[in-house]
Amino acid sequence: MPGDVKVLRRPEEKGSYVRAALKGMSVTFRHMVNPRKVTQQYPDEKWELAPRMRGTHRMATHEDGRAKCVACGLCPTVCPVNCIKLIPAEDENGERYAAVYEIDEFRCIFCGFCQEVCPVEAIHLGVHYENAEYSRERWVYDLERLCDQDQPFTALWDPADPASE
Amino acid sequence: MSEQSGSQEAVTLIIDDVEVTVPTGTKVLDAAERAGVVVPHYCYHPGIPTRPAQCRVCLVSVEGQGKLQPSCVLDAQQDMVVHTATEEAKLARKSVIEFLLVNHPLDCPICDAAGQCMLQDYAFETGQLESRVEEPKLVMGRDRIADDVLYFADRCIICTRCVRFMREVARDDALIVAQRGHRAYIDTFPGTELDNPFHGNIVDVCPVGALVHEDFLFKARFWDMDSASSICPGCSNGCNVSVASKENQVVRLKPRHNAAVNSYWMCDHGRGQLVMANRGIRAEVPLLRDEDGELRPADWKDALDRVASDLSELGGGGRAVVSPHACNESLHQLRRLLELLGFQGGEFRVEQGGEATLDGFPKLKLRADRAPNATGAELLGFERVESLAEPGPGEVLVVLGERLDADPTLPDAAFGEHAGYVLYLGTRITEAARRADAILPVTSSAEMQGTFTNWEGRVQRFDQALREAGIARPAWMVLSRLVGLLGGEGATRLEAADAFDAMAADTSGMEGMDWLSLGLKGLPLASPADVAGGAS
Repeated sequence: MPGDVKVLRRPEEKGSYVRAALKGMSVTFRHMVNPRKVTQQYPDEKWELAPRMRGTHRMATHEDGRAKCVACGLCPTVCPVNCIKLIPAEDENGERYAAVYEIDEFRCIFCGFCQEVCPVEAIHLGVHYENAEYSRERWVYDLERLCDQDQPFTALWDPADPASE
Repeated sequence: MSEQSGSQEAVTLIIDDVEVTVPTGTKVLDAAERAGVVVPHYCYHPGIPTRPAQCRVCLVSVEGQGKLQPSCVLDAQQDMVVHTATEEAKLARKSVIEFLLVNHPLDCPICDAAGQCMLQDYAFETGQLESRVEEPKLVMGRDRIADDVLYFADRCIICTRCVRFMREVARDDALIVAQRGHRAYIDTFPGTELDNPFHGNIVDVCPVGALVHEDFLFKARFWDMDSASSICPGCSNGCNVSVASKENQVVRLKPRHNAAVNSYWMCDHGRGQLVMANRGIRAEVPLLRDEDGELRPADWKDALDRVASDLSELGGGGRAVVSPHACNESLHQLRRLLELLGFQGGEFRVEQGGEATLDGFPKLKLRADRAPNATGAELLGFERVESLAEPGPGEVLVVLGERLDADPTLPDAAFGEHAGYVLYLGTRITEAARRADAILPVTSSAEMQGTFTNWEGRVQRFDQALREAGIARPAWMVLSRLVGLLGGEGATRLEAADAFDAMAADTSGMEGMDWLSLGLKGLPLASPADVAGGAS
């Protein structure tokens, strides 16, 4: 046996449990009278989230409801986990737009690179974390669903204020 | 290079501390390239004769000359000392880029040239990343300059490469520069249309994203595409192309430089060939006819065993119908199979079409033979015919690649129905294929390596651009396996290089050729006399 390993032997003779039980109960009763509450009554009470918290994506829209995305293809290029699918096309005005834009939130690692790289500030992460679905397919958000999100946009890191103060 | 041009005619100069010897008359820009120094340039293009020296990006300092000199028109002279990156030259270049960017929309995120744009590259290189212009930009919008080419006037830097290509290479004065100064734009000459059969090249010569082919508009970002060196299958000229693909779909063809075949150009008919690679329902698994007369899928081992036993049992002679789109290696292996079976050889027909010549480079011609390998098929012992002869009753018919449909020259629509046995090797399941006893799926020329022999007997190699459909395999692989199963010599060829080397050793005119020496530019056949007939 290697020299540094400390071997502890369990007590083999029978002893009383009373002392151990009292010790445990004293911890319990101490917390009952402790004025500092730790437990939060989720979902009735919710965390206050940091403005830079990176959660579910949200697509910015123009006033007429169109997505701001110009389908440049930088977010699928920069995405480290390939969770963005984009098929560009030409609309009736000859402008480039995203015919298909899907983000797989299940695969996403919420690194925020897509928001950083977007040249038109269209795709954002949102301050939001409550996602639950009955199927994996529902985790793939299409463009309409991304536009319908209403959580606040995640604030980008500001070099002038590195600690967000 | 300098030795070839005769030593009296050579001059030696120093470019950025590199001594280089070039023939007299060489321009400094070309000499610099030989010395390994890239001088930025827009208006100069190696395939376009004139050098107007109007973009002013290639300015360099020459010792003993007060002013900066445009290197694209400056003759290299003995003992000249050139510096391409002095502070003065860099400042001049930076100023030019700044001027070009005054009205440039900087819409790189939605521009199809982003990633392969010389304006983007040089702006980044010279550090011209911020604008000092406070006035609003001039917006000119876009225009349809030809049926299939869009012109984004805002992105244009008026290098006039497209105008000069049309005027000097295509010899068709269709394009002009309209207006002057910052309002200048490219337009068709009033009353004319841009419908030259070579006009697609203006998109390739454009150094920025001003000219975009509509088929490629918004299709793919430059960095998402894979590229493979290939040969255009559109006609027998055999233009060297590079095939750009994205997600296993061909998105565009671009000409690849080969001074012996197509220079920097290709025709628009060739560009249209890309859709063929993507289209149609493909044969993906071997299909064998079962007892009930139905075609059933089989794996390769069962299919080849069954075809080999069928072929060895059948008597009564037979012949082949091949396609001039099949590569040399496949045709060679098929000829070996026919010889082994004692069949009487094979024939092929070639689709015909109109011709068009690029006047500035007459060797590049859209040729009447609309298939890449008619010369190779003839060299490998197949007979060129106007219309295919119907196989007699009980004969074995081996079809390689020929669709056998949609053609009035066929004897009747049910070609081959009297044949005793039909073996069909093809990329698609055509009507004729449905009557076959066995269908072996083979890859299209975009999905395999191989060689074509062009109209003048130049053997050129093409590389694989796409994944194969299903479990389709190259025809040379399938046929060499069949030859082996029927007791013929030679191993199954698993590599195109092996198949080529085996063919070269076995074919007159190809002696001494091997896959590596073929390279990406191809080699001519040993003696032109071997090129029988000689397609137009």
